[in-house]
Amino acid sequence: MPVNFEDRRIGKDFDWALFAAALALALIGLTEIYSATMSLPGDVAFMKQAIFIGAGIALMFVVASVDYHSISEHIPWLYLGSLAVLIYTPLAARRIAGAKSWIDLGPVSVQPSEIIKMVIVVAMARYLSDLHMKGYLSFNQILKAAMICAVPMGLILLQPDMGTALSYLPILGVGLLVRGLRPAVIVSVVLIVVLIVPVSAFVLGDYLKAHQKERLLTFIDPSRDPQGKGFQVQQSKIAIGSGGVLGKGIFKGSQNQLGFLPARHTDFIFSVVGEEMGFVGVLGTLGLLGFILFRSLHNAQTARDSLGLFIIMGVVGVYFFHLLVNVAMVIGFFPVVGIPLPFLSYGGSSILTAFIGLGLIINVRRRRYVN
Amino acid sequence: MRREELTVLRSRVNVGVYIVAAALVFLVGGFWHFQIAQSGRFVELADKNRFKQIQIIAQRGRILDRENRVLVDNRPSYNVVYVREGAHHSLEELAAVLGPGLGMTLEDMKERVEKSKNEPKFRPIILKEDVDVADIAFINARKLELRDEVFVEYQPRRKYLEGDLAVHAIGYTGEITPDELKNRDPKIYKAGDQIGKFGLEQRYDSVLRGRDGYRLVIVDNRQREVEQFGREDPVGGNDLRTTIDLDLQRAAEAALGDQVGAAVALDPSTGEVLVMASKPGFDPNLFATRISASAYQELNRDPRKVFRNRVIQDHYAPGSVFKVFMAAAGLEAGVLDPLDHVNCTGSVTIDGVTKACWKAGGHGSVGLYEALVNSCNVFFYNVGKKLDINRIAHYAMEMGLGRKTNIDLYGEDAGLIPTPEWKASAYRTRNKADQKWYGSETLDVSIGQGAVSLTVLQAAWAMGGLASGGRLVQPHLVDPQTLAKDGFVGEKLETAQYAIRASTVDVVSRGMWGVVNEGGTGTRASVDGFDVAGKTGTAQVVGKKSYGKDEEFEDNAWFVGFAPYRNPEIVVAAFVEHGGHGGTAAAPVAHAIFDTYYRKKTGQFGTQSSGPIAQVKP
Repeated sequence: MPVNFEDRRIGKDFDWALFAAALALALIGLTEIYSATMSLPGDVAFMKQAIFIGAGIALMFVVASVDYHSISEHIPWLYLGSLAVLIYTPLAARRIAGAKSWIDLGPVSVQPSEIIKMVIVVAMARYLSDLHMKGYLSFNQILKAAMICAVPMGLILLQPDMGTALSYLPILGVGLLVRGLRPAVIVSVVLIVVLIVPVSAFVLGDYLKAHQKERLLTFIDPSRDPQGKGFQVQQSKIAIGSGGVLGKGIFKGSQNQLGFLPARHTDFIFSVVGEEMGFVGVLGTLGLLGFILFRSLHNAQTARDSLGLFIIMGVVGVYFFHLLVNVAMVIGFFPVVGIPLPFLSYGGSSILTAFIGLGLIINVRRRRYVN
Repeated sequence: MRREELTVLRSRVNVGVYIVAAALVFLVGGFWHFQIAQSGRFVELADKNRFKQIQIIAQRGRILDRENRVLVDNRPSYNVVYVREGAHHSLEELAAVLGPGLGMTLEDMKERVEKSKNEPKFRPIILKEDVDVADIAFINARKLELRDEVFVEYQPRRKYLEGDLAVHAIGYTGEITPDELKNRDPKIYKAGDQIGKFGLEQRYDSVLRGRDGYRLVIVDNRQREVEQFGREDPVGGNDLRTTIDLDLQRAAEAALGDQVGAAVALDPSTGEVLVMASKPGFDPNLFATRISASAYQELNRDPRKVFRNRVIQDHYAPGSVFKVFMAAAGLEAGVLDPLDHVNCTGSVTIDGVTKACWKAGGHGSVGLYEALVNSCNVFFYNVGKKLDINRIAHYAMEMGLGRKTNIDLYGEDAGLIPTPEWKASAYRTRNKADQKWYGSETLDVSIGQGAVSLTVLQAAWAMGGLASGGRLVQPHLVDPQTLAKDGFVGEKLETAQYAIRASTVDVVSRGMWGVVNEGGTGTRASVDGFDVAGKTGTAQVVGKKSYGKDEEFEDNAWFVGFAPYRNPEIVVAAFVEHGGHGGTAAAPVAHAIFDTYYRKKTGQFGTQSSGPIAQVKP
């Protein structure tokens, strides 16, 4: 089936507000990445991030241009292709931070498991929207939806990269909740999470990787390993707390500049925001992220059909999960997992994924009127 | 169907708005907690991360003799130190890297670290002090590996140029102990400081110590210095000029030699201490570097008690030296006339008690002059009998005995002038008969035996006071006026004047001149041209456990004298423990001091022999 560029005027009914918020976040991120890496030789991180933001925006426009219905029609092939890439990745990848998640593409390396998330979003949306029903999901339907998510997740766990694998769960979770789950099922799942997960964390301790166990145990008692993961969180809290109301000023955060903050341009970029821009900067950044989420929820509600609604909700689920886990992590409310903050954290794959998601949302919004 | 389906889906999406809102409120609340409610605490923690205070140790002031010759100086020294905070290696790993090079075992290192385990983690722990060039090179060559965990730190150390010379007066320094730290101003003293532990180093610590400075630097996460934030320069300690005369001190210690004893010389008109020698001594340089436990134990176990300052910390029976004070007391009390004569038959019986003179055949008819020159016991038994113990005690106390001189050193002993009250109190746990004062005890005291005891300093001080017409100036090693010039408030010197007739001073001095110059017991103290007057003492050692078997029953030897015998400039007390006769053991020590003093005074003292190492311009 030919790709259908039904409307070539990209500017028509484009969600400029959403794009502006994302761009603002990307620039805040870029500034703090510069600040976090300025003491290192060269501007490697800053330049790479700037290029990826440009590439992400370009991709966003491309994704927004192609009618999401035609994307949806091609999704089976994209899905299968994605699985092939995920199988190929650990075979070809170098080991970075204990996981084989990256493949080298010339001067840059990409993390397929990030970008493929958006393929799963559309695949899940297509499956759920095709059900066309008002009532609750049956067990079989839940199982089929879960399989769509579980296969790539399983492949990612083999790399092994638990953080990224976990970030696939909101696609399934949000999709099922919106499609309709029996209240009894929701209550049971909540109970299972609340009761079983902490217990199994210990019981299954043997099955977890050493660094994962370390992260879990450190979350329970951050003081047990001052030089390890607990140290990271402690330094992050110090950075944020010492930022105060107005912050220490951009490029002037001592925790950031003197290297006390670990992973400061990647997973802990929000600590740098907190230290250098203070509570005001935090409010502004969370405000922009909140704006993107609320605006997207609104766009979901005005979508022309359930496919569009599910696509947006999938992206919102991913954004929300990243936001909640990452921000809660930097203030010690959640264990340290390698989850980047959309639009802000350094990392090409993360930036591309965030902008592709934005393209999907804008895509659905542009076509909200039934013609 | 489509429309209804979308309506249901949209209503569920609407729930998402609340969930997102709740999550954002939760996160903002978290940031409120850290950035506004608790911000102050985290600002402190961030500052603790980035600031590091590096101490700059102040140079301690030097100690000089009265002619500004340097007795104690400082020398540069380096320690290998270890910082626990932010350490990347275990002690085991460090021992493997450093052990062979520094000659240390893991146990050595553990012991050092264990001792300082309660101190803040950022404070360097000394692994090896006073290291040599090879050690410094060894550590610096491993800078990359060791980062800032182990490094070389500068610390000035004390250098006692004259070794054990005058060590009991000068003292030594050492690292402050937790107990010593408790009662001190934390603004001035801190753990790891070197403080005076003994002698002048201890007494004038506040003058000598100065104030440490520091550099406040900003460091990165690897404790590397990024920039200097602030600096306070150290203020060096003040030099301490003492009243000691290096030449006299050397002469005194050379004369004492290997004997156990003490010598002190004062200027009776000013109270200045010219010589303070106590033997045996020890090398205070041992304490400048951390002294090993075994080396300290060895010194401490020495039966000769090397740490005691025998000039002020111990008291001894004065023997015949006390006869000088008896004579003065007798004359003042009117019980003795310069023309009185007593027939010494070798012994005397008073109140049914028979006491012998030291000369078996007796001295025959003796007046006061002959009694002093020949040290006749019988003559002074009579004086004692006439005075009785209470009057003896009264005059002795007035003349400066039996009480502290308040010299500017810690640990001074008061000596003892016994009275019946003292005996009753001292023996209160015994039966009544033991508490009673007996007449024979008065006779013992009259010749400086029995319970009466003096410190060597007291003997010189009281003799100087008597020879200068009853004027007692508080003895001191540092003149408060020189301290005041440097801005320190010193104690004002006490001066006392007791009533004594010029004729009494004259008669006693004349007798003491005879002791030295007219065939008396103290001729070995004489110096040609310098009218030395003095009195020997040979005190029996009774019931005192001693160390060397051969010396066990040897007497303690004394010589106390002054010169010139009119308007004296210098008073000397020399004491040799178990030295035998005062005239043969102690008088030569006094002679060495008088002789050196006189040669300096008359310009005959050459500086060719072991001259001063360094001299400060006045």
